[in-house]
Amino acid sequence: MDIRKRRYALVIDSRKCINCKACAVACKAENEVAVGNTRNWINEDRQGEYPKLRIDFEPEQCHHCEHPSCVRVCPTGASWQRKDGIVLVAADDCIGCRYCMIACPYDARYFQEETGTVGKCTLCSHRIDKGNIPACVETCPSKVRVFGDLEDPTSRIHELLATRRYHVKEPQTGNGPQLYYLL
Amino acid sequence: MGTTRMDRRLFLKAAGLTAGAAATLEVGCLSYFKKGRSATADNREVPTTCELCPNKCSAIAVVEAGRVKKLNPNPENPKSRDMLCARGNAAIKQVYDPDRLKQPMIRVGARGEGKWKPVSWDEAFDFAAKKLGEAKSKYGPESTLWSSTEGFQEVFFKNLGLAFGSPNLVRHPTLCLASVNLAYSATFGTVPSFDLLNSKYVIMSGANRFESIITPDTMDLIGGVMERKAKLVYLDPRFTVTASKADEWYPIKPGTDLAFILAMIHVIIAENRHSKEFVSAYTVGFEQLAEHVKPYTPEWAEKETEIPGKDITRIAREFADAGARALYYAGRRSSWYQNDFQMRRAQAILNAIVGNWDQMGGMVPNAKLPKGEFLFMPWDEPKAPRVDEIEKHFPLAAKGDGVYLKLRENVLSGKPYPIKAWMVYKQDPLNAMPDQSKTLKMIEQMDFIGVIDVQMSDLAWYADVVFPESAYLERTDPVEVMPGIWPAVVFRQQVVKPIHDTKPNLEIVQGLAKRLGLGDYFDYTIEQWVEAEFKDLPIPMAAEHMKKHGVWAASGQPSYGKTLNPDHRFVTKTGKVELFSERLQEAGYDPLPVYAAPKQPRSDQFRLVLGRVGYFTHANQSNNVWLHEFMKENDLWINPKPAARLGIQNGATVSVTSSVGSVKLKARVTEEIRPDCVFMLHGFGKKSKMQSLVYNVGASDAAVLETAWDQVSGNAAFHETFVKVATA
Repeated sequence: MDIRKRRYALVIDSRKCINCKACAVACKAENEVAVGNTRNWINEDRQGEYPKLRIDFEPEQCHHCEHPSCVRVCPTGASWQRKDGIVLVAADDCIGCRYCMIACPYDARYFQEETGTVGKCTLCSHRIDKGNIPACVETCPSKVRVFGDLEDPTSRIHELLATRRYHVKEPQTGNGPQLYYLL
Repeated sequence: MGTTRMDRRLFLKAAGLTAGAAATLEVGCLSYFKKGRSATADNREVPTTCELCPNKCSAIAVVEAGRVKKLNPNPENPKSRDMLCARGNAAIKQVYDPDRLKQPMIRVGARGEGKWKPVSWDEAFDFAAKKLGEAKSKYGPESTLWSSTEGFQEVFFKNLGLAFGSPNLVRHPTLCLASVNLAYSATFGTVPSFDLLNSKYVIMSGANRFESIITPDTMDLIGGVMERKAKLVYLDPRFTVTASKADEWYPIKPGTDLAFILAMIHVIIAENRHSKEFVSAYTVGFEQLAEHVKPYTPEWAEKETEIPGKDITRIAREFADAGARALYYAGRRSSWYQNDFQMRRAQAILNAIVGNWDQMGGMVPNAKLPKGEFLFMPWDEPKAPRVDEIEKHFPLAAKGDGVYLKLRENVLSGKPYPIKAWMVYKQDPLNAMPDQSKTLKMIEQMDFIGVIDVQMSDLAWYADVVFPESAYLERTDPVEVMPGIWPAVVFRQQVVKPIHDTKPNLEIVQGLAKRLGLGDYFDYTIEQWVEAEFKDLPIPMAAEHMKKHGVWAASGQPSYGKTLNPDHRFVTKTGKVELFSERLQEAGYDPLPVYAAPKQPRSDQFRLVLGRVGYFTHANQSNNVWLHEFMKENDLWINPKPAARLGIQNGATVSVTSSVGSVKLKARVTEEIRPDCVFMLHGFGKKSKMQSLVYNVGASDAAVLETAWDQVSGNAAFHETFVKVATA
């Protein structure tokens, strides 16, 4: 299918997350992310007093926004967005000014000391382009993340977003984030 | 990249298995390898089987430029449920770990000093063979001890010990799950699997399934491929991830689970809610059981467990109503208390009386698959009795596994005979056994210690010679049949050639055997061994299939109810499910589980409880750089109330002292634990400097745990230690 007719997104069912970190290690291997940096992570919210307690886990990564503020502020055009919505950094054009890191409402980018450039989640675009799913989606024991194409009415994420309640993080920024968290 | 791959999303869709979409779980129908794949020597995909823990998940290794770049889950294995956990993903770092053992080494300084001389394989083999020979000629072959942990190449190590003439093989089960195995065997004649995928009501005592990952149980309970169906009631003194996901969590008073279970049985029988058909057709001893549980009322149990009696009554009713689809989940690493066997037996009895045996959503006897056997030259059985005197002290325990803690006591006392040489494969007794100081004493009295391992474990650090084993990604191993509700055959094949001067265990065993005059017993290659195993697999073109796919699973749905016919004989004394056990009575044990209140800590003490997190389960994983990132050192969980009383601030260094040792680590003041317990994670405070990330960082639980064991199975009792905590 024509790339312009695709819009990739993730639907995340956080309640299934057991904080096992499989997604984080799979990403590290797949994308050769240096120790100390991370492209995806799990937020923990621990509340209550013994014995009335709760813990909520919430996996997060780049939201591959509809209107990404990181792309808007990039002075060189190194931060860019594919037609299918994936936000990437062209390392050759990155001057390491880190404006994008400040502009990102989700703190999803990191600076790579070795190369002097900024790194981030690519949604495993190299795997997607070969018809595979992102490494974090594939390896997950409880299948917390569902990957799909919003333009494809037969996709599982279509069904989930049509039938379940969900929210996005920081909607007030106008970035149009594409990580949909089921309630 | 020279590889071509099929569209994974398309075939997942075709199979009706895009995450969460499936209504039924089709097994054995997914193929990663349906299309032909082209590969070059440097870039290829190789199916193999993970070895980071005992789950044996199927993985596809992606090799780029001759290096393992990525491990992807292999959807063809129904047991691993198309996933690979953090540990499995991090196996790559086991290969490329700078701390790895890279060549054979002989100790030159004092034991534990860390002075090593790299030697050739010949030197290492000659040295070990000379030392083992000396022990044999001075004290007899039985003076050698052979300890190992479960693994596909363990068989060669055990065979070397037996061929050498030693009866003293000791394996991990009595540091893990021996009490569960024995209790279910004593009741049903076998250890079943638990069908969590289809269960409606699950109760777990401490089996922290969302952090101690077991396939397929963890995924089936959280609702990985499917949505979760079961109500989960969870008992644990700690608010674990499992507790946070449970429908009901009860911070039970530690050691009183048996009271909870007996009261449930009391309610179910008193209210006539048990399965009459199953009880009358398949069990013996129901009348004795009914009489036995009369005093165990929910009101009585409330005082023991601190769980409200009305909740126990309600849970018992809900459990019985779920009937065949209700499960009291057994769990693994069941080594907690000295009454562990009886507690597990009470679970088995409770499961039996609601009639969940061999039912969809209940307990299911494992289906097995046939496998060929390589016929090697047999040796004479060792003549000497075992040094742990298992027959005398633990007549019902599994003889081949030994009883670890009793064995250590006997080695230290030199009775009934001396043990002077110790060979260890793939195990770290310094961290796996409680009471590290005793293990150090045991080390001191050995004339010789040889260790085969991938990395420099703490025990290897105290050895005389270390034989570096190739990592699993560098080896081809024997074929493994995994019995279960969804039985499968898995194969581990070499993904990359060894990157250091290491050998697979078989070749290490052969090198030793040759010099010990036992070469004829090991005169085969791994290829010959594997070919023989392929022969009887129920798979067309078995060898080709296993090499191409790495796994084979019987397709279709599990078959429930095969043992539910009146002619079926359970492998017990009476041929029935034994609620009352004559065999236990004859052996001098309680034929029905009798409750005795556990000892409780004094007001200035805490009970030390143990557990795991999803990314570290075994002590050998904490030095993996990709896992270490998530937790750089362990800490001591302590409730804010006692912490305030003791003046302990969050993050402050505290000392933890038992009768056998004292360690220091940081405090984590947290609401997520009972005020009378403290908790620390396993796998830190290493003594080996070649575990550089965790050397002397945090604390080792083994250093403070006291020696105690379950009376029937001999399983170590890890939760019987009381400690004092103070600011340090």
